[in-house]
Amino acid sequence: MVDKEEIMKIAILSKLFVADDEIEKLTEDMSKIISFADTINNASDEGTDFDNINNLSNVLREDEVVPSYDREKILANAKDSDEGCFLVKNIMK
Amino acid sequence: MSESMINKLHTMLQQKEISCRELTNAYIEAAQRDNESLNAYVTLTPETALETAEKVDRKIASGEKIGLLEGIPMTLKDNISTENIRTTCCSKILEDYVPIYDATVWKLLKAQNGVLIGKTNMDEFAMGSSCETSYFGGAKNPHNTGHVAGGSSGGVASAVGGNIAVYGLGSDTGGSIRQPASFCGIVGLKPTYGAVSRYGLIAYASSFDQIGPITTSVEDTAIVYDAISEYDEMDSTSQGRKGAPVCDTLKNDIKGMKIGIAREYLDGVRDDVRQAVTQAAEVYKSLGAEIVYFDLPALKYALPVYYILACAEASSNLGRYDGIRYGYKAESYTDVNDMIKKTRSTGFGDEVKKRILLGTYVLSSGYYDAYYKKAQNLRGTIVKAFKNAFTVCDVILAPTVPMTAFENGHAVSDPVETYLTDICTVPVNIAGLPGVSVPCGYNAKGMPIGMQLIGDNFCEGKILNAAWQYENAADIYRAADFGVKL
Repeated sequence: MVDKEEIMKIAILSKLFVADDEIEKLTEDMSKIISFADTINNASDEGTDFDNINNLSNVLREDEVVPSYDREKILANAKDSDEGCFLVKNIMK
Repeated sequence: MSESMINKLHTMLQQKEISCRELTNAYIEAAQRDNESLNAYVTLTPETALETAEKVDRKIASGEKIGLLEGIPMTLKDNISTENIRTTCCSKILEDYVPIYDATVWKLLKAQNGVLIGKTNMDEFAMGSSCETSYFGGAKNPHNTGHVAGGSSGGVASAVGGNIAVYGLGSDTGGSIRQPASFCGIVGLKPTYGAVSRYGLIAYASSFDQIGPITTSVEDTAIVYDAISEYDEMDSTSQGRKGAPVCDTLKNDIKGMKIGIAREYLDGVRDDVRQAVTQAAEVYKSLGAEIVYFDLPALKYALPVYYILACAEASSNLGRYDGIRYGYKAESYTDVNDMIKKTRSTGFGDEVKKRILLGTYVLSSGYYDAYYKKAQNLRGTIVKAFKNAFTVCDVILAPTVPMTAFENGHAVSDPVETYLTDICTVPVNIAGLPGVSVPCGYNAKGMPIGMQLIGDNFCEGKILNAAWQYENAADIYRAADFGVKL
């Protein structure tokens, strides 16, 4: 079970606003989904260790400099950019 | 009879019965006309399609031989990146996003002069089973537009089922290729994890996502799979196809092949679906295959395991949408944090926000061990259970979806009930296995029913061989009343 307070806490972690008129329904839906997720706790604990899906291991390669995309092309999708940089409001005063 | 559309059109092009320009125009016109009913495409690309067609026609005129996929009209789900063509994931947050590079799968098909008719509709960020979470409204079922096409690759299935594209590529995280293929009465393959490059596929849940073909026949699926299953250094999980091209073994005899049926797959499935799958088992017997029944109790936990892990990965993957580098950005805000929150809250739809919240919850301190870690361990258990299953059978036969396509707007309002529709498809993604959905009948209302053939890792050749033999013997496919008539 989750309550409204927990939903609000998770929303902060998720960087999402939850509007006042959404919270009731959202708490109800999330409670249902989480009770459903809880069914895994009926499984015995002797689960198998799982690393990754194809048992792949990391492969290191030489750190070589290769051409990347054109700066202007990359910035073309940004709503605000200036002098070849992404533009955001001041983070520090 | 479900013949190979790709082979048929290839011969017509090569023998100059039709020019590529004529063929392309026929598909563009049909797409423009039928999209009003089907809502399959969210972006049409007639100029690039015709440019490619001209290139193919010049090649044919000069007497050169063309490849099987050259000049064939096709489509891509709108989460597959296409350079200079907008790629939206059917979300407001990416409504005007134009990629600066091509996904590897598109690079491969483009190199073979694949004619891209347009980008197709999907559930927002591939999260949904009806295509109705799309920012652009849902795609409709070509067999009855009062019903959904399924999801999340609903647009591809609607376009291919409605013959306004010959084939398409979708993506499958928990059933998103197989389920809409089943609903629309066509074939859809979710390849082994790692067989097809994910480079340029906009991520939902990276350890589950896999790109694969949706076509009207098993042979076409085999042709497209062979074309896209190459190792790619741009995807660190890529391995490419292992062994011979699947087309080489497609029509092999299946006498003595062991087809397994796990009883758990038939639990809770609607009668018409169970009956169609049971009849398919009879067809296999008549082809000389042996039916083996067994239990797969680990399947009981597949659905919660899937939703816990997929949402956890989604909450991390979708952290990148902040309004700064691309996509929608909130118009008024007080500071950076406020801007990011407003951008995400307005840019994402309800289902996406719900899954981000669930994923954040299961990863948050205090819940990580109880949910995420436990689910990861159960994932290991499910992987092992399938490994054991493949010691008693060669392929597993199961329903694709417990029901046929629901009516528009009726995707059940209870969130858990909606997730339950994925019960037969998610196990394959959890274990990284290949699965193909093949039409196996129609219910009393004429809505298509699909069955699924599941194989061990990198055994696409085997499941497609079994699928082709069934398709050839049972002759189920019916064309819908839309699209190009040739």
